[in-house]
Amino acid sequence: MPSFLKEFFKRNGVGMGSVMLGLVLFWTIGLIILPQLSMLDFSFRPNLPPPEIGGPKDVYTLENYKYLIYGPEGGSQDYNAVDLRVFFRTLVAAVCVTVFNLILCYPIAYYLAQTKGNHIRIFALMLIIPYWINEILRAFALRIIFGETGVLNNLLVGMGLFDTPFDFIRNDIALYAGLGYAYILLMIFPIYNVIESLDRNQIEAARDMGASWPMIHRRVVIPYAKPGISSGCTMVFMLSAGALAAPQILGGPSSLWFTQLIYQQFNDNSDWPQGAAYAVVLLVTCILLVLAIMRLFKVNMGDIGK
Amino acid sequence: MKSFSFLRLSVWFYLAIFFAYLLGPLVIMSVTAFNSPEFPRASPWECLTFEWFSALFQDERILNGIWNSILVGAGTVVLSVAMGLAGALMLTQIWPKLRATYYTIIIAPILIPGVVLGISTLVFWDRINRMLGLGADSFLSNGLFLTIIGQSTFIASYCMLVLVARLQRYDIALTEAALDLGATHAQAFRKVLLPFMKPAIASAAVLAFLASFENYNTTTFTFGEYPTLTIELAQKVRYGITPAISALAFIIVVLTVFVALANEANIRRKELVAAARKDATVEELESGRLRLPNFFSSNWAAVALVVVACLTIATVGTATVYSPQQCIADIREQKRLETEARIQELRQRRAEEAARRAAEEAEKGDDATGGTSTAPATGGNNSGFGNVFDPNALGGGSSDAEETDDQSSAPSSGGGSSAFGGAFDPNALSGGGSDGN
Repeated sequence: MPSFLKEFFKRNGVGMGSVMLGLVLFWTIGLIILPQLSMLDFSFRPNLPPPEIGGPKDVYTLENYKYLIYGPEGGSQDYNAVDLRVFFRTLVAAVCVTVFNLILCYPIAYYLAQTKGNHIRIFALMLIIPYWINEILRAFALRIIFGETGVLNNLLVGMGLFDTPFDFIRNDIALYAGLGYAYILLMIFPIYNVIESLDRNQIEAARDMGASWPMIHRRVVIPYAKPGISSGCTMVFMLSAGALAAPQILGGPSSLWFTQLIYQQFNDNSDWPQGAAYAVVLLVTCILLVLAIMRLFKVNMGDIGK
Repeated sequence: MKSFSFLRLSVWFYLAIFFAYLLGPLVIMSVTAFNSPEFPRASPWECLTFEWFSALFQDERILNGIWNSILVGAGTVVLSVAMGLAGALMLTQIWPKLRATYYTIIIAPILIPGVVLGISTLVFWDRINRMLGLGADSFLSNGLFLTIIGQSTFIASYCMLVLVARLQRYDIALTEAALDLGATHAQAFRKVLLPFMKPAIASAAVLAFLASFENYNTTTFTFGEYPTLTIELAQKVRYGITPAISALAFIIVVLTVFVALANEANIRRKELVAAARKDATVEELESGRLRLPNFFSSNWAAVALVVVACLTIATVGTATVYSPQQCIADIREQKRLETEARIQELRQRRAEEAARRAAEEAEKGDDATGGTSTAPATGGNNSGFGNVFDPNALGGGSSDAEETDDQSSAPSSGGGSSAFGGAFDPNALSGGGSDGN
């Protein structure tokens, strides 16, 4: 037995130690690492009926990845334009949602963190309550509002801004509003946590030196809040790129989200390897994108999740 | 100071917009649960009704979904709190060189999209199942097991974060003292560490249950024969929405507000009691005559809690005695009258137009095709079809026919030729149809 294991058991007792080790190993290896590797492995295999799995036809292939780029073999187009367009649209839209959320939430987080008083607790309660309510129901609420005879259209037509109801769902406005709505809390809390620990004297000092409000934010608050901002942005980006409920309920009939393609591969086409390949592409691209942006803004990985 | 008050004003304005965005949808959704139209809408208000609540409680699939959600939630809470606690304890003990890697691994499930987690769980356990040579109906490919496993993967990370925060304040010397005094490791864990961790474990369990209850992305790949409430809701919402879903949402909103206020009131009371104890003199404490603050004194949350409770009781009370039949009948009658009036108006207008057209035609002679795009004789038919394709006509239904009619009559006065179109307006037809009912 290696010495650190012996040490570990001596510290925790054999019984407790093995229960603890067992749970941790089950979680990290059995639930996190192996399933991901298994999905990766699966994505390189052809789609076979169950009896043929493990048979001679079960060899590694790049077919599933080629399909995403080039489309079906012998297809009329050079590239799989439909799926690729959905993929890039998803990424761009997720970035837009993240930026929108950041702009919306930064002032709120700053205000909540730097103001003292009883009403702050009421605000915090009002922030949290929507997040105890089901994701589907939140999307449903927005669908009621943005629908063709919904409240917003009635209001806009009633005020005379539009003569005909505006189709928010077909124009994806409902989708973006829904995605932004879904992840507000995940943006506010990390930023709030960081700004709360910012010494108010620093802001006072900057003000005494004659800095204007935009200047104070740019030179004092934002550099200090960078870890919070980056972890909020990372979470919102990853979750909105991987969202499924909001696009299914609020998305227009003609526009798809990349996760919906994955869902279709699994449930409608029963092509699991293809779906797994798409999922791998989504995961890897999102991680690379996040890492690249973090490098760009000089944030460390360790700051995330603090 | 003028600029200062301007700043303050704009801050409040911003806050108002922000919270309207945050809470507005929930309020409007709740309102639709009490409105009578088949399609959930807040305006126009028709009748106060409670029928959507009874429709909800008669829906077998929803009730079954709630039961499945509770089963899955219970399993997930047990598994993920246990794994989260073990993971958190391990984090404090692990070899320092491994710590960063280990932390990355256990925090990663929070960032991995739920869809990916669902797929990887499904694929992996399917393979294990095949390797063990079990059939398609073994417990490993059972929806309940897969869903609990899939959800616990990332919910355990949330629990771990909550537990680590508390564990950091734990003094390891306490455990060592217990061991020195002859406790076994299990005893030291159960009697020293666990009581200390209890509040954090409770909040981790609540968090885990809520996260499990509302999870959709992972569950949608793993649920098998155990569709949870979220899955049932998603299917309902995707294939047609009814106010019964609003009713369910309303119940959840009220429960949430209730629990949140109760929690807040409790915290506030503890604070007040602690403050009163601190201010009390020794004499007061010893004689036991210390007056602890009343439950309601300067505790807004408690007051709000009681108000919400009273409102709920009042609503339920109203629901048992109230019948919307009269109102619904009135609305129907009113609609019928409106439709009739509209038909009359249309007939009259058509007659007037026809008369005017006849007069114009008599003047112009054979110049009819010049000014307008189509000849009046065929114009009636054409525009009749034209209105069929009018998007308002499809979505509008008969209840907001007034609005739709205004719009369809707007082009008719401009185009001239579609004056006859009113006769073929689908709204007029459907309005006429409802007369018979």
